[in-house]
Amino acid sequence: MTVQERVVPLVLVADDDPDIRALVTFRLEKAGYDVVQAADGEEALQLARERTPDLAVLDVMMPRLTGDEVTRQIRADEGTSAIPVILLTARVQEADVARGFEAGADDYIKKPFSPQELRARVQAILGRR
Amino acid sequence: VTTALAWCAIVCGVASAGCTVALALRRLALARQERRRAEAEARLRPLAVMLVEGEVPDASTLEAGDAEILAGVLARYSRWLTGDARSHVARFFEREGGVDAEMRALGDRRAWRRATAAYTLGDMASTRAAPALVAALDDHARAVRAAAARSLGRLGAADAAEPLVLALVEGRVPRAVAGQALLAIGPNALPRLAELVDHDDATVRASVIELIGLLGDAAAAAFLLERLRDASAEVRAKAARALGRLAADEAAAGLRAALRDRIPFVRVSAAHALGMVGDRDSVGDLLRVARADAVPDVAQAASGAVGRIAPDLLLRAATVPDAGPHVHEAADLLELRA
Repeated sequence: MTVQERVVPLVLVADDDPDIRALVTFRLEKAGYDVVQAADGEEALQLARERTPDLAVLDVMMPRLTGDEVTRQIRADEGTSAIPVILLTARVQEADVARGFEAGADDYIKKPFSPQELRARVQAILGRR
Repeated sequence: VTTALAWCAIVCGVASAGCTVALALRRLALARQERRRAEAEARLRPLAVMLVEGEVPDASTLEAGDAEILAGVLARYSRWLTGDARSHVARFFEREGGVDAEMRALGDRRAWRRATAAYTLGDMASTRAAPALVAALDDHARAVRAAAARSLGRLGAADAAEPLVLALVEGRVPRAVAGQALLAIGPNALPRLAELVDHDDATVRASVIELIGLLGDAAAAAFLLERLRDASAEVRAKAARALGRLAADEAAAGLRAALRDRIPFVRVSAAHALGMVGDRDSVGDLLRVARADAVPDVAQAASGAVGRIAPDLLLRAATVPDAGPHVHEAADLLELRA
């Protein structure tokens, strides 16, 4: 199903921590979104290419491919380059945040985070589209 | 003798085989236990998520083992979450008696149990535990004190700022742990820390000023400026560094005066701080220090500060014949970086 045919927005959630993945998924599904989950960077990239989600929420420190690298590859691929990306990061040094934006992220949320804030950011980005 | 040796060899062989089998069985048992725990966590995670989200599913029928695993998942959530979600975790542990049980365990006679309780209370997210954890900073076991400090940081207990600073200064808690806890409390700790800048003990004043430099903003500059005239050189140096970190413009005049401090490491800190403040009016004073200070570290810091504030002025100063080795060195470094 393409982005245009989709009635309910699809969000890709990628985090190697099952606790965080479950919580973010629950919160977004409750807010009315469909969610696909990935447990590492490679799976996230594969799902981004196969499903072309309306938005991706990516943890930065993931095995196999980091969130920054997944973002970079999403931007480099013509089929996925328009997918907005929110990075979820425990690393809050300015340089780390700058690296995420340089990779092409649209926003970042630092851990520890508030699920309400995450939902608000997702809604803000999807609302702009 | 041969027979005895043969029996010995047989006995050793049997014992060694027995140990190997026992270790293998133990390993299998641990792997099975780990797998069961992972399965239970996966089963209970939806329940934990509902609790975190403020829904109140019936958790009273859970078996003891499941309740413990659910508590573990919720404790992990509390480390990653803020806001309402964290409050929901706290409310769960308060309602289910977890907080009271761990607070009671802080009085256990076994140190490891008290340390575990102090650590767990931080993950339960209930600020009700803060006074008990402050008291645990005086525990006779270092592990308990360290766990209590870490948990006070996790709870963001602003009232614990003063006891944490004292525990840090008196060496009751590892410096890194107490510092990390105070940073975790964040700007909410500032009012308490501000009350301690006049403390009788210079070590307390120095530690507090360092923390204010890390947590505060330019508004903290006023009382840090006063500390540039403190009787303790350590405090004056820390105040200069903190003012630099806060990049407070109004600190420039005070920092320029500190370039004439009689203690070299205070002058070094003042020079570094002026470089971070970026005050161009200070370039003349810094160049004078860079050329004339008899202590190389001070002259070097002053030259570096000029390079940071106004690279053009440093390069021009280096063309003057009596510029001195430190100005030349800083100018060369600038050109190398360019």
